[in-house]
Amino acid sequence: MMTKIIRTFVPDMGYASLILLMFCGLIFAVGAILVSRLVSPYKPGKVKSEPYECGIETEGPSWVQFNVGYYLFALIFLVFDVEVVFLFPWAVVLREMGITAFIEIIIFVSILFLGLVYAWRKGALKWV
Amino acid sequence: MTEQYFSGLRIELFLTMLILALLVGKVLAIKQNPIGTLTLISVFLISSIGISFMQNESGYLFGTMFRTNSTILFEKAILLAGTFIVFMLGFEWMKKQKHFLEFCMLLLSTLLGMCFMISSGNFLMFFLGLELATIPLAALASFDLDEKKSSEAGMKLILSSAFASAILLFGISFIYGTTGSVSFDTIASAIDGNNVQKFGFICILTGFAFKISAVPFHFWTADVYEGAPVAITSYLSVVSKGAAIFVLMPVLYHAFGRMSSTYIPALILLSTVTIITGNLFALRQKSMKRFLAFSTVTQAGYLLLGITGNNTEAGASVVYFMLIYIFSNLGAFTVVSILQNRTGRDDIGVYKGLYKTNPTLSMVLLLALFSLAGIPPAAGFFGKLFLLSSAAGAGYYVAVIIASVNMVVSLYYYLNIVKMMFVDEPEITIEKLKPAVTEQISLFICCCGILVIGFIPAIYEYIYNLSAAI
Amino acid sequence: MDATQIIKTIPIEHYVILSTILFAIGVTGVLMRRNAIIIFMSIELMLNAATLLLTAFSTYRSDTPGQVFVFFIMVVAAAEVAVGLAIIVMIYRNIKSIDINVLNKLKW
Repeated sequence: MMTKIIRTFVPDMGYASLILLMFCGLIFAVGAILVSRLVSPYKPGKVKSEPYECGIETEGPSWVQFNVGYYLFALIFLVFDVEVVFLFPWAVVLREMGITAFIEIIIFVSILFLGLVYAWRKGALKWV
Repeated sequence: MTEQYFSGLRIELFLTMLILALLVGKVLAIKQNPIGTLTLISVFLISSIGISFMQNESGYLFGTMFRTNSTILFEKAILLAGTFIVFMLGFEWMKKQKHFLEFCMLLLSTLLGMCFMISSGNFLMFFLGLELATIPLAALASFDLDEKKSSEAGMKLILSSAFASAILLFGISFIYGTTGSVSFDTIASAIDGNNVQKFGFICILTGFAFKISAVPFHFWTADVYEGAPVAITSYLSVVSKGAAIFVLMPVLYHAFGRMSSTYIPALILLSTVTIITGNLFALRQKSMKRFLAFSTVTQAGYLLLGITGNNTEAGASVVYFMLIYIFSNLGAFTVVSILQNRTGRDDIGVYKGLYKTNPTLSMVLLLALFSLAGIPPAAGFFGKLFLLSSAAGAGYYVAVIIASVNMVVSLYYYLNIVKMMFVDEPEITIEKLKPAVTEQISLFICCCGILVIGFIPAIYEYIYNLSAAI
Repeated sequence: MDATQIIKTIPIEHYVILSTILFAIGVTGVLMRRNAIIIFMSIELMLNAATLLLTAFSTYRSDTPGQVFVFFIMVVAAAEVAVGLAIIVMIYRNIKSIDINVLNKLKW
């Protein structure tokens, strides 16, 4: 059943789908830049031409030690970033394996999600 | 088809459900109640022990990933029982922790990892189980957040176990390259014992030696044992070591069965060196936890010697010894835990004249030490007897004689503590300690185990009949 | 020429030698250096040596399990480092240093 649904929504186009994806991405990125170029007024200033840093004036050199308090973000990023390793092979075999693979990945991602919620409840995502 | 998966994976599913339930409870911030949580965990663990004795057919699941048979289920029951006792003996300490639920989750996750590890039929599954069993342990060892020693123990545990698993993986990749498979069965039929495979095997054995803390890869043991909280120390010394030994047997007998002329000398060498070194270091320890650490190292040596025997006999004697060892070592650790929690010290001086103030505790410790030393009325004697006779049955008499001589040497330091408790005058005055209910349960189970198992020959016969299928 | 062919233009012995050298460098690093973060880097090097070897063997044998193994090694290594770094931060808070030699409350 599920396999059928996936098939109808995602027709098998072979490598053409990759090209389409790249094309869409390109249009999205270029479009956003172009629109802002065309719409926004151009008024350069001293503060504006500095490298962007959260919208506040930059202060001091950029080679400073980072606060050790950021390590929590680093850890959470590290763990959730690497889990994507399993999503790529899954996406490749999804069509052949069908509903089983779909349920399995849902379980996997929801356990990960529980972990994320746990980190959030613990206040690990609060900005320091 | 699906029922087969559910019945094969029943213990793992049970544990996963329990861990997830705890996590959901934590996330939803349900009002926490340590005693309620402990009851929930105990019910789950005890019912898991129950269902591990249910009828099942042996075989493979997920290709060759997951192996199950009655021996493996019995081994899992031993590990579950060990974890249950650890929860009992450590509860007084655990319930004071701010992160009590996390502690339980991590401890159960390592247990889950060990269950997957001992029923692996494939190096991939084995590696994943091993890592699931060790990574949370490092977090657990450093659980005393304010204690410098504790975080140091965690650091040393994670560094040495990551080092060990890297060596193990290097070995696995050579075995994979020469045999073309990571599943034990295919390796067994494709292996021919050439030099590359020997190198890979030595790497794998090194990884195992780290896990079971055999000399010369034991240097992390004493430090980690001393620094970690007592509950974790006892868990490391019993459950974690037991799981590593249990999985070593199928790896040797199944995957490397044809290389027995390579692995038997290596194992005998490893075990003799381990027994001698462990004994020598145990002689001069002043801290009770360090002393028990080196005692554990020595016991690992005897276990390795037992493995060298003929498959069925060796398997039966190792499983039987582990069953006894769990009760004896955890009995000793319960007493250590009670004394450390109440007096804040774990040096041997605390035990001087313990009999005058706390006769019950010192009787339990006496029993446990007798069992560890292998003195006849306690069950440990029979465990060692079967291990040594398994090695002797295969004809390794020199190693058996060395081991027996070392058993006599070890009597000196075990009995030294007994002498301190019963003869010496107290160094500090300890009032009569009253163990909490959970600690009483743990003491009671351990005493029963030590006394009863040795006198019921049916238990050994039961294990022997099971382990025809190792 | 597809990727498999490109990989196979180099003989398998070279992969084995390269990864053995990487592994040896890693082991030396673990045993010689005393900074916890550098020890972690060396362990990563050892893991990567194993990974490289698995990938090479798996390509030469046209056999996928080796490459699946590599994915799992990557994830496990990340988890290991996450726990290790958390412990390092904890130690740093306690003693303001990550040199292993400072960790001498317990004899090494």
